[in-house]
Formats: sequence, structure tokens, C-alpha cells
Amino acid sequence: MTHPASGPADPFDPPDVTWDRVSPRLVPARLVVVGFWLGLPLLVCLVLALAVTGWLWIPAAVCALLLLWIGLLVPRQVRAIGYAERDDDLLIRKGILFRELVVVPYGRMQFVDVTAGPLDRRLNIATVQLHTASASTDAEIPGLTPDEAERLRDRLTARGEARLAGL
Amino acid sequence: MSAAEPTSGATGTAPAREWRRVHPITPVVRGWAAIAVLLFVLGQQAIESLEYAGEVVDGVTRVWWLAVLVVLVVLAVIFGVSALAWRMTSYAVDDDAAHLRKGILFRQQRHARLDRLQAVDVRQPLLARLFGLAELTLEVAGGSDSGVVIGFLRLDDAKQLRAELLARAAGVRARRAGGTVPSPAGSSPVGIAADGGPAGPDVATEPSPAATGPVVAEVPPPAEEAPENLVYEVPPGRLVVSLLRLPAVWVALAVLVALVVFVLVTRAVGVLVSMLPVAFGVATFLFNRFAGEFGFRAAISPDGIRLRHGLLETRAQTIPPGRVQALELTQGFWWRGKDWWRIKVNVAGYGGEEQNATQNVLLPVGPRSEAMAALWLVLPDLGAEDATELLDEALTGEARTDRFFTTSPRRARLLDPISWRRNGFAVADRALLLRGGRLTRRLSVVPHERTQSLGLVQGPWQRRRGLTTFAVHSTPGPVTTRAHHLDTPDAQHLLAEQSVRARAARSHQTPERWMERVAPLARPAAPGDGPEDSP
Repeated sequence: MTHPASGPADPFDPPDVTWDRVSPRLVPARLVVVGFWLGLPLLVCLVLALAVTGWLWIPAAVCALLLLWIGLLVPRQVRAIGYAERDDDLLIRKGILFRELVVVPYGRMQFVDVTAGPLDRRLNIATVQLHTASASTDAEIPGLTPDEAERLRDRLTARGEARLAGL
Repeated sequence: MSAAEPTSGATGTAPAREWRRVHPITPVVRGWAAIAVLLFVLGQQAIESLEYAGEVVDGVTRVWWLAVLVVLVVLAVIFGVSALAWRMTSYAVDDDAAHLRKGILFRQQRHARLDRLQAVDVRQPLLARLFGLAELTLEVAGGSDSGVVIGFLRLDDAKQLRAELLARAAGVRARRAGGTVPSPAGSSPVGIAADGGPAGPDVATEPSPAATGPVVAEVPPPAEEAPENLVYEVPPGRLVVSLLRLPAVWVALAVLVALVVFVLVTRAVGVLVSMLPVAFGVATFLFNRFAGEFGFRAAISPDGIRLRHGLLETRAQTIPPGRVQALELTQGFWWRGKDWWRIKVNVAGYGGEEQNATQNVLLPVGPRSEAMAALWLVLPDLGAEDATELLDEALTGEARTDRFFTTSPRRARLLDPISWRRNGFAVADRALLLRGGRLTRRLSVVPHERTQSLGLVQGPWQRRRGLTTFAVHSTPGPVTTRAHHLDTPDAQHLLAEQSVRARAARSHQTPERWMERVAPLARPAAPGDGPEDSP
């Protein structure tokens, strides 16, 4: 723990923790959303650039570059998401450039949400979110298979009850 | 907390849940603005129709009567609706919850569990004060709109109800089954019925005559207001001076002076007019703060911390022990000479919105001694050997003189050039201290048992310099609970140790019904204690 810069002392990857990864199907799920919001303007810009004015090549290029960059980034982002159930708390980490680690004690859990939108259901994934009494607890695990989401929910609830504390 | 459901057992014996109505003037106090506007509009209409009537000589009497009739009908409808609304609003309190039902078309019934009670506020808006009425708000930890608002009541009734709620939330059970009623003695708010016992609290609510038999004290239904000791109060003079020393005031003043000069030189008056909203905003802010924090006094009582403040609208807050989730001491740059501090707190249920700012204030402004007294109100024991030195360092210290604090390394200089020497943390046995800010000094104190969750955050620049930001997540409120730019191994250790510490502290924290634990101490004759909420 004497190397401050990087490497073995990475605080976002404690040595005694084995991370569970989320489903790779989260990648298409996220890409579809991004593709919609960036691809649509890209198409519009392209059509207009061909039809009306050459200036619109600039926003089209910006959109295309963003799309490419995000397309490369999302798989890495998804790989960076991890969670680990320890005896007394749940660890969640995410992010590559801006990294985050959250430790949520089971006893602090107020309720658990399992959500799945239409796209998620199609791709067979779900999101589990833990809520504590604090609004700033960002404990969301996206891209779980429904079975795993259900198992995690039940497990968390059971452990939360066993360690229930007040506020 | 299995006592939530068996309430019905209590209802069987006596009218444990008797529905009570709020004061009949409530609609007037609540809707006075609407009524005033309506009367104004109607009055105007009436006058206009009068003039009109004057012109049309024939129909004078008819139109006049028509106007009066309209006014009367509208008033009757308003009266009818308010009367109905009033009739449909009622509240009740039993051992486990406070109940409120209201609404004419859309009925709403709300139960607030008393073991989740976070604070009780008695609020008196200006008009209510004229009538001697008050509104009672029970805060439970469920977000900004989850409180139960009971009002309006006569002030004495509101106080009485507050005492009753606090006593019951504390685990003192009112037993209406009869029996002798010894008057409560000592410093406890009410005679403490130590009904914990090995068999659990449900026994006490049993309708069996045995429940009235035991030697334990019966609690008279009218719970008495707990005695209180004044800890500090803020004189208006100090409040005014403290407001004048806010940087915002000086910035606003400087801008104003610059503007006046500008206008005098260029004679463009329009600019001045365009600045009016800003000036108005600053003035509103200052006035709201002055009016909200006027006559601030804090007292301690067995019920908890009592805060009272307000110029036009007064508010009396009671925060039971252990309900403060985190607190923050700040000192603006211009307060430094006087060594004044301001303390804000996080209380679940109060929320952190700006308009609630006066609710979250524990000390509007006060010298260090009072700030320490306020801190002591919340955390009687910090759990440090030389707490005074620790706190001195926490308030004004910095990296070069630190003994207790771990601060950002020198590498953080580029990312936070001003306050990197102040950023840091210290761990006491009972609480975590997070320090920051150099121009505006800041110290946050989070008791270990109030930690919700923990987190680390690291941006790309921080990673290159081996820095990590540590965060404690607390309930929503104004307190900053982050230590910025710590040395990465420090942050990592802190995270690991803090989660262990928080777990240990949680396992023997104060129970929600704090009196049940205090009861055996107060009356040694009572059989064993039942720590009700600890897992």
C-alpha cells in the first residue's frame, strides 16, 4: 500500500474481493439508447447536408465521432461495473475515467428496487437498486440477468432483515 | 418492532384511538390568502356594479341586490366547503402511530409510526399567532412530504399533543385502563412506565386486568411537558451583525455602488431598474434569514433538543436524542475576527431544500463556546481523549500544525490550490470528523452509528496524482460529508476501517424508543430492560 499512483494499491479493486460482473447484454442495451439519441440527429444532419447546405457536415461529423467514441467506451464501461456481496455489506464499483466505489451495509438498506424497461426485458436483463435513507447512496447494479436480479433481491432483503438497524 | 400490528389489542380495551378534530378556525388560517383575494375581487366587482347601477337609474336596487346575493352565495359555498373539510379532518394518536385522515373527495389516511419519529415541530404562522393557534408537524424519515401535519390546534393543545407524541415515541405507554395515577416525578417527562420486560411490550397493551395491577407507574393520558434547560440563545444584535458580515451582502453592496456610479456617469437609469430583481433577491434572503432565525434559543430536555425561533412565523422544534444524522460547522471569512460559527444539521425528514433552511439550523451564529455547547447537545461524548484540542484543530487547524488530522498530500496542491492544507479527516471513537475549506472553514461531524453508506470517487486527474475523494452518505440535508483529495491509501484505509466502525456502532446504538432503555435506570424496581430495537 505504499504505491500511491496506481497498480497494486488500487482502492477500487481491494485484493480480498472477487467481483461479480454484469451481463454483457448490457452493452447492446446501452448502445441502442445512445444510437437512437445520436444516430437520429446524425441521419437528419446527413440528409440535410446532402440536400441543403454543406455546413451541416460539421454537426454530422461531431455526431459520428461521438458515436464512435461511445461505441468503443460502452463495452469497457460495462466491463468496469462490478459488485461483490461481503458478509456485512455490498460493494459496487463502476466507471473507468471517473471511478466510484460504494459500500452499502445490509443493515442500512431501506428497500430494493428491481426494474426492467421494455428494451431490458427484450435483452433479458434487469436493474437492481438499493436504497438507504441517504439520497446520495448511488447503489445501482444494471445489467443483471433476471434470475440473478431476483436472487440478489431476495438475498439482500434477507440479509437486510437480519442486520436491520434504525436510521 | 413487532408492536406495530397488535395495536388493535389496545383499541379493544379503551378508546385508545379516539379521533379528534382540529380547531374550527383552521380553514380561515390556512386559506386566508385565498379568501382575502376572493373578497377583494368580489368587493371590486360589487363596487363596479354599484357604479354601473348608479348610471342605470331604474335597476339600482336589483343589481345591488344581485351583487350582494352573489357575495353571499360564494361565501356560503366557501363556508360550506371549509366546514366539510374541517369535519372530514381528524387525527388520533395511539401507542404505535399517529393517524390523520382528511380530504373530501379524495380521502387520505396517513399513519406515522412513532418509533420512526424524527422530529416534532410546532409552527405558528403570523395569522395563527393572532388566534393563538399552532400547527404540529411530525417528521418521519420518508422524504420531504412524508410528515404528518396536524393543525391547527390551540397552542396549549399542540404542546400537549407534542409532549404526548414524544413520550409515546420514547416508549412510554399511556394506559387508560384506569388505576391510580401517581404524578410524574423527577426529571423524566412523564412517569416512566417501564413495561419493557422480558415478555416484550405487547404485554402492556393487553386488555387483561393484570396490566393495571403492577406496581409500575400509570401514565396519565395528559402527558406533561418535559422540563428544559436553556443552553444558548442568539441576541438579535449579534444576528444582525452576523448577517452584515456575510460576503453576499458585501458583494451585493459593491455591485450596487458600482451601479449607482455607473448610472450617475452615464445617466442610463434603465440599468438600475434591471438590477432591481437582484437587489430584491438579496433583501429577501437577508430578511428571511433574519426573520427565521430571530430570537433563536436552544434548550435541552429529556425529550431531546428544543429549538425555538422566528419573528413573524415562530417555530418550536423538538429533535429527540440520536435523531441528528450529521452536523456541520461553518465560519465565513468575515466571521473569523469574532470567531463565530454556524451549525447546520441533517435530520431525516427535514430534507435539505433551501426554503427549509431555518429547520436545519442548530445554531445561527455564535462564538466558539456556544458552538461547542451545540455540538455537545448532539454528541455529548465525542470519544476523544483531548476533545478540546481535537476540536480546535478541526475548526482552525491546518496541515502544518496537525496532530490528529490526516490531510491531503502536497500533490493535491494543483487540484485544490486554496484549501488543500485544510482538507482532511480525523476519527474519534464516536464520530468521524471531516474538515475542509480555507476561506469558509467547514467541519462536518458524522456519528459512526449514523453512517448510511460509504463511497470513494476518483477522477482522471486525481488518479494521476494518487488522490481519492472519500464520502460518507448521510440522510438528505445541508451537511457536506466528503473529504476531498485524500492520499489514495489513506482513503482506502479509511473506507475499510470506517465500515467496520460503523457496523460496531450500529450494533449498540440507542434504541428508537429511548425511554425504554432509560426506564430501568429511572426506576430500579422495574424488571429488566427490553432493548427493543437493537437487532
